[in-house]
This record gives sequence, structure tokens and C-alpha cells, in this order.
Amino acid sequence: MNKQIPDTIRDKHPGFADVQVGSSGELREKAQAHCLKNAHRTFEQGIQCVQVNSMNALVSLQDTVMVIHSPLGCSGCASFGAIDRLNVYKHHRGRDNAPDSHVISTALGEKEVILGGEKRLHETIDQAIKRYNPKIVFILASCASSIIGDDIDAVAEQKEKEYKAKGKDIIFAPVHCEGFKSRNHATGYDLALATLQNYVIRDAHPPKQKGLINLFATHSLSWADQQEMKRMLNAIGLDANILPYNATYEDIMKIPAAEYNISVCQIFADEYIKFLSEKYGTPYAVTNMPIGTRSTNRWLRAIAALAGKEEEAEAFIKAESDAVREEVARIKRKTDGLRACLTAGTGRGFAAATLIGDYGMKLLCMHTPYYDEAYIDDFKRLEELHGTDFIVNIADMQPYEQVNLLKKYKPDVFIGMSNWVSRLGIPSFHILDSKRPTFGYRGVLYLGRKIEDAIDNNNFNKNLSNYSKNAYREEWYKKDAFSYLQLPEEN
Amino acid sequence: MEKCIERPRSLCSLHGALDVIGNIYRAIPILHASPGCSMQASSRTNLYYLGGYHGLPSSNAYEKEVVFGGTQRLRETIKGSLEIMDGDYYAVLTGCSMGINGDDVDSVVKEFEASPYPIASIDTAGFRGDTYTGYNMALLATVKKLAKKTKTDSRLVNIYGQPPSSDITLRGDLEEITRLLARIGVKANTFFIRRDGIEQLKNSGNAALNINLSPWLAKNVDTYYKETFGIETLRFNGWPVGPKDTANFLRTVAERLDLDSKLVDKVIHEEELYVYEYLDSLFGNFERHRFILVGECAKALGLARFLVNVHGHIPLAIIFTDSVPNQYQDSIREEVQKLECPRKAEVYFENDVWEIEQIAQQYDGRATLFMGSSYEKKLAQKLGSHYAITSNPCLDKEILNRSHIGTHGCISLVEDLYNHF
Repeated sequence: MNKQIPDTIRDKHPGFADVQVGSSGELREKAQAHCLKNAHRTFEQGIQCVQVNSMNALVSLQDTVMVIHSPLGCSGCASFGAIDRLNVYKHHRGRDNAPDSHVISTALGEKEVILGGEKRLHETIDQAIKRYNPKIVFILASCASSIIGDDIDAVAEQKEKEYKAKGKDIIFAPVHCEGFKSRNHATGYDLALATLQNYVIRDAHPPKQKGLINLFATHSLSWADQQEMKRMLNAIGLDANILPYNATYEDIMKIPAAEYNISVCQIFADEYIKFLSEKYGTPYAVTNMPIGTRSTNRWLRAIAALAGKEEEAEAFIKAESDAVREEVARIKRKTDGLRACLTAGTGRGFAAATLIGDYGMKLLCMHTPYYDEAYIDDFKRLEELHGTDFIVNIADMQPYEQVNLLKKYKPDVFIGMSNWVSRLGIPSFHILDSKRPTFGYRGVLYLGRKIEDAIDNNNFNKNLSNYSKNAYREEWYKKDAFSYLQLPEEN
Repeated sequence: MEKCIERPRSLCSLHGALDVIGNIYRAIPILHASPGCSMQASSRTNLYYLGGYHGLPSSNAYEKEVVFGGTQRLRETIKGSLEIMDGDYYAVLTGCSMGINGDDVDSVVKEFEASPYPIASIDTAGFRGDTYTGYNMALLATVKKLAKKTKTDSRLVNIYGQPPSSDITLRGDLEEITRLLARIGVKANTFFIRRDGIEQLKNSGNAALNINLSPWLAKNVDTYYKETFGIETLRFNGWPVGPKDTANFLRTVAERLDLDSKLVDKVIHEEELYVYEYLDSLFGNFERHRFILVGECAKALGLARFLVNVHGHIPLAIIFTDSVPNQYQDSIREEVQKLECPRKAEVYFENDVWEIEQIAQQYDGRATLFMGSSYEKKLAQKLGSHYAITSNPCLDKEILNRSHIGTHGCISLVEDLYNHF
């Protein structure tokens, strides 16, 4: 089959790095001179794989079955995590009884790894169809199935013919998301979106729908945040088609019908949006995640410029900003000048770093999974707020470096996943929240109150630090946090 | 694995091994695996000392290591782990990609023999088997690495046979069995969760007796203790649940250890009274259920004995979800036959979520109580049954020190049966 979108990996982006460290100014200057190179961590902790994000992108589509062609372990994040996350969404939507998504593992064993697993894949697909008669069967590759050379494309084609002969039009959509494919797990989303275009949308060319805007968003957004974005877009006269998480088959087929494309942040679906612009002539904007006043203004203005809705946007921004101004000012009197460290996904991290600027806080260090030349402007904007000296640690988590740095910096507050930070006794909170919006102007207040709460009552972290220690040796804290980073030679 | 499995409730052998090592306080698992294994294969296990899967050392093998081999990467990963991670025991666990590409992991691990810390090397590539395979492999490797014998302690027992993540009330259950044995003067090594887990493993060679709670798991561990330290294993058909089971359990252990029977009888009597005080206060609300039970045999057998033999319910069907090998299935069927009720439960061995639904639907309109995992919650509603969560996975509840076993635990179980709204 001739694929409209070939598989690509983000590691090939200009200036891509997932292992680096330096002050923001230093890294940015190198990136601007096209000489930012990846370093090497001689010691690493667990990193997410692309398969997990491909699963997350596709698992919520109804009338589909996801066949995970792998040993049993590769269905962990789908069987336990993704379906459970969807249940949280359903609960927030008041739809507790909506059907579960269907995930079947081919359960590869030693025999299949030696003799090949395609026979098992055929049997599993037959079960999927017998059980649920789906519109689409997704076939996800894994490390094991890929190394042994199982041809999931060929099986998909055979199955399509076989079922067509039985009078059934079923889409068989392979996703080449083996875990070792890319160092950037956002690639898993690209692969999933490419599969939707290549196998589901194909050559569909529906007429444009007035005012329809595709909003590409990750699974890590809460239902509340999806609703808040919808509300903001409605306010400027646009109707949002949110994809791919929580979308229906019909929503997917509407992708080419949209007048505009926008993503929740600058590093999600950006490549697919460019493809849509080339194939369907749909204009798009690349902007940041709407967290914090500055970032929300920027996000909304970028969309308004695209759709010629500048006046509506300015009126909305004014009304919403006015509504929260007094409370933001009240919180800011408490938070002004506090020193913060931040750990988040790249897009969320950029936005959260502007939010703490809204509250007059100073950024000391930021842990973020990726760098590439496309983010230069984002770092410039952060430097306007926080100066050029804050440390940027390019790392997919790596808590051993985080705890080391935090012990030395002793920030007033830590923002991000705080499993290990709580044990240090440092006030902390997470910017992810499933129940209330963290996005938009309401989110500014909600997150501001979270900062205030973390500072006003840190008793839990303080007490915990007396009883629970992190899994790192005392000697480690005396060393430089980046002792295990081998920097590339400079040219 | 014989066939595909929809919504697996247990995972691969790497998961089983992580479940063992990750639940031993201050034991550090080191993954020689591709990215993603740390996250996927640690699903539903407890890596709390590490702060979750992000804290797990991993070689994160990418294409380069898959194509050209990953031994150099493994070497630096082990070195870093020993220098940075504060542990007393380390275990290198292999994932699929590094298991297929033929890295000689054992040789690399041997290079670290001079390290002051014990390091095990366990080939747990996911395709080798399921969670139970991994549990057997990792528990044996750990006991081999750590257990020593200085002098037999006639009042010390080792307890195993329960993969940690398969028990949704693990902490509470380990606490309850420890409490019960302590009452008759016996100290229990439970290995997991406790902060002295590694000390317990080291001392386990001094135990007078092993108690294996599974009808089929960890036979390799029984054999190793017998051959190396001369320790016999007392095997139970699952956890003791409720006063009858607990009395039988304590008496059997006491006999084997030659304990003072007067003390044992006194303890048993007090524990029985404790349970019946609670059951008595509830009897006005007693509702007799016809039940379906879904779960792993180590837990489900004990629950069934309590529900039928003590609390007076009618068993309709029991669906065992652990992948019990054929040769052990008959003994489990026999145990179900022994339930003290003239109507005998149908027995099934199945773990596929769709197949379980097909089985359960045969009882539509008859079952009034459905006990299983979070996967069965909607199914119970569909069948119009009350629902209680008793088996893995538990996705929609936090369980901390709650137990479902012994005498205190069976009271919590009864609460769960009544608090089903």
C-alpha cells in the first residue's frame, strides 16, 4: 500500500536532543548556531516508549479493537492504564456505563519468537472480529514482533482481502511503534496520526465545514481542559473537533473538512498539521499550551489571527482577564519572588514556566524531555521572564539528577510529579489535574491557588521527609548532578 | 502462551520479576531492556522505594543496542546503579529486545562480583512466560543469592507463593498472617513490603519451615530450600480466610513446629470469638448470596471457604484467572468439591476478559453476588448482581492496610460485601 505519510521519527529534527544540560542562554545560542549536539548519559532511569503513546492516541476510538502484537507485558499500559484513564473521563462526563475499549494481546511466547508470530496474529484478529465486529482493527508492533521480522503490513493486507471476500469492510491499520524505534516518545503520536490518515481517512475529501477547527490534543489532558479549550474557541465563534483522544470515527473522518488546524502545543501533531495543509490546503498555527495568562493570550490570538476573529478574541481576553485579575494579584503578593524548579513534558513545561512568571516567581531549573531548533523562540520568551541563567536539563525524568539538583537549590516550591520531591520536604504540586481546568484564565486561578496551598501547608512533605528517604546514596548528593553526562566534543 | 488474551490481568515474565524485586525494600532492579519496559512491565507493581517506574535504572536499549549488542551499555548501567542507587541487593532483569539479540548478560554481571553488594542476573525476557513464570524465576534467584544458614530457629517460618501484585490487599494480608503467627510464638519472614525484607531473606535459611500459600507456584523455591538448607515446605491451598481456615492453619503449623497446643487452642478460641462478635452484630442484615468468584487460586480458594463454610453462601461458579498448569487443575477442583455445601460450584480456568463474560452470562439471573477484579465491575451490573472487588487488578480503589484474610481480614471482606453501593 502506498502510504500518504511515511513513518518518521523526531530524532531527525534539526538540533534534536534528549540528553543535554546547560543554562537556557547557552543551549539556545548553540541551537541557533545549529551546533547543539546530543550528549550521552552513562546512567539512565526508565524512559517511556513510542508504543505507549501510540496506544494512548488510539485507544479511546469506539468501534475499534486494538491488537497488541507482543508478549503480554506490552499491554500493561493499555490494559491497566489507558482503559482506566478513559474510565476517569467517562466518569467526569457522567457516562460511567459507556463500553470499555477493547485491547487484545497476541501473547507471544518463546515458540512464536523462534518460529514467527504471524499465525497468532491472524488468530487474534479473527477473535477481535468475532467478538466485536469492529470498524477498525489497529495492529501495534512491539520490540519482539519487530525484531523477529513479523510483517504486520502484509498481515493487514491479507486480512482486508480475506474479510472483503466475506462481505465485510473492515479497516486493518498497522502501527509500527516498536519501543526501540525513537528516543522521542512523542513519535508514537506521529505514528498513530499517520496510521489514521493512511488507513482510515485515506483519500476522503469532504467539503469544508464553516467555523470547524481541528484541535489536536494529547491523552494527558483532562476532560475539564478539553472543555475549557472548547469554551474558549466557541467564544470566538469556532467549533472545535478535538482529536484524537475521546474522538469518534466520525470526528476522525471530519479532519479534512475543517477550515483550520491547531494543536494544544508546539510539539504535538505539528507534522500532521503540516501534511494537512499541503494535502487539503488547511491553514494552521503553531502555538503554545494555554497555561498561564501569557500563554493563553498567545494561544488564542494565534487562532484568532488564523480565523480572522481578532476582535472577538480581544473582547474575550479582556473579559476573562478582568474576571481573575484581583484574585491573581492577591495570590501574587504571597508568591512574588519565590524560587521554583519545574519538571514537565516539553509543551506543558514551557507554558507552566510562563504561569509562574504571572505569579512573580523565578525559575531556577527546568527538566524537560526534548530540545530541538523549533523551540528556540519558546526559550527566548522564557528568558525574557526569567533571565538566561536558569538551568535546562534535557531529560526524560531521570529523578536521580532531579533530587541531586533540588537538594542543592532548595527551591521554595517544586512544580511537577513529586514522588521523590515530597521525601525531600520541599513544597510541591503537580500541574496535571483531572477534575478542574488548568488551562485558560480559570486555570490561571486554579493553579495559582494550588501554588498558594502548597506553600501555606507543607506539613505532609515536611513530616514525610523525616521518615522516608529516596533510593539514592548520600555520596551521590555530594557529586555534581550531571556527573554521568558525557558531553559531545565541541567543533 | 497458548492463545491471545484480551485485557490481560497478569503480564510478562519481566513483570513477575519486577514484582518480586520491586517489592523488596532497598532491592534495586536494573533493567537491560528497551525504553517502555520500565513503564509497561511495572504496571500495577509497587516500586515505591524507587518513587515509581521513573526511578528504575534501565539501559534503555535503542536501535543501536538492538543491532550491535548492548553489553557495553549494560556495563555502564550496572556501574552507575551501584554508585548512585542506595540498595542492599541488585538484580539485572532482561527485557525482550536484549533477550533476543543474545547479549551475554551473565558475563557482564560477573564482572561486578567484587562489588560489596550481591547482584543477581535473571533472564526475564518478556516472551519467556507470564507474571507467574517471572515470579518463580526471580524469587528463586533472590533466595539463591541472599539466603544463608547459620543455625535453625525453631520458631521461624518463611511465607511465599503469592506474587505481590496479584494480591490487591497484599500489605494487610502480610500484616495479618504475621500477627496471627506471632500470637502462637512464631516469627514469619514475608519478604515483601517490610523495611527489613532483605534481612528476612538473608535469615530465611534458618527457618524451621516454609509455608507456601499457592497450590502450584514456587515449587522450585521449595526444592531449593529443601536441598540447600533441609527446610521442609508446608503447602496450603491458598490463604487462610475466616475463623475455621485460620484455626486449621494455626493448628497445622503448630503441629509441625511442635508448639504448646494449649496456647494454640486459646489463641484460636479468642480469634474465633473476635470474628463472631462482629458477625453476630450484623446477623439481622444477613443476606444469603449465590455467588460467582473470579480470581487467582491462592486467594479465591480461601475466600470461597470462608463464604461457604463460615458465612453460609451458595457457590455458583469459581473462575480461576492465574494460568494454572493442567497438572494442578484437578487438585484445585477437588478443593472446590470439599466446600461444605451440597450444591457444588462449577470450576473454570480462564483469564481472557471476553471468555469470562461468556461464562458468567450463563448464570444471568441466578447470581446475586459477583466478586472479581475491576474488569468485572460492569459485568456484575449487567448480570444484576451485587459486586465486590476481591481480585487483581483493582483500578478504582485505593487499598492500603485493608486485608481479606485471617480473622481480622474476613471482617473487612464482609464490610466490602455489604458496602456495595
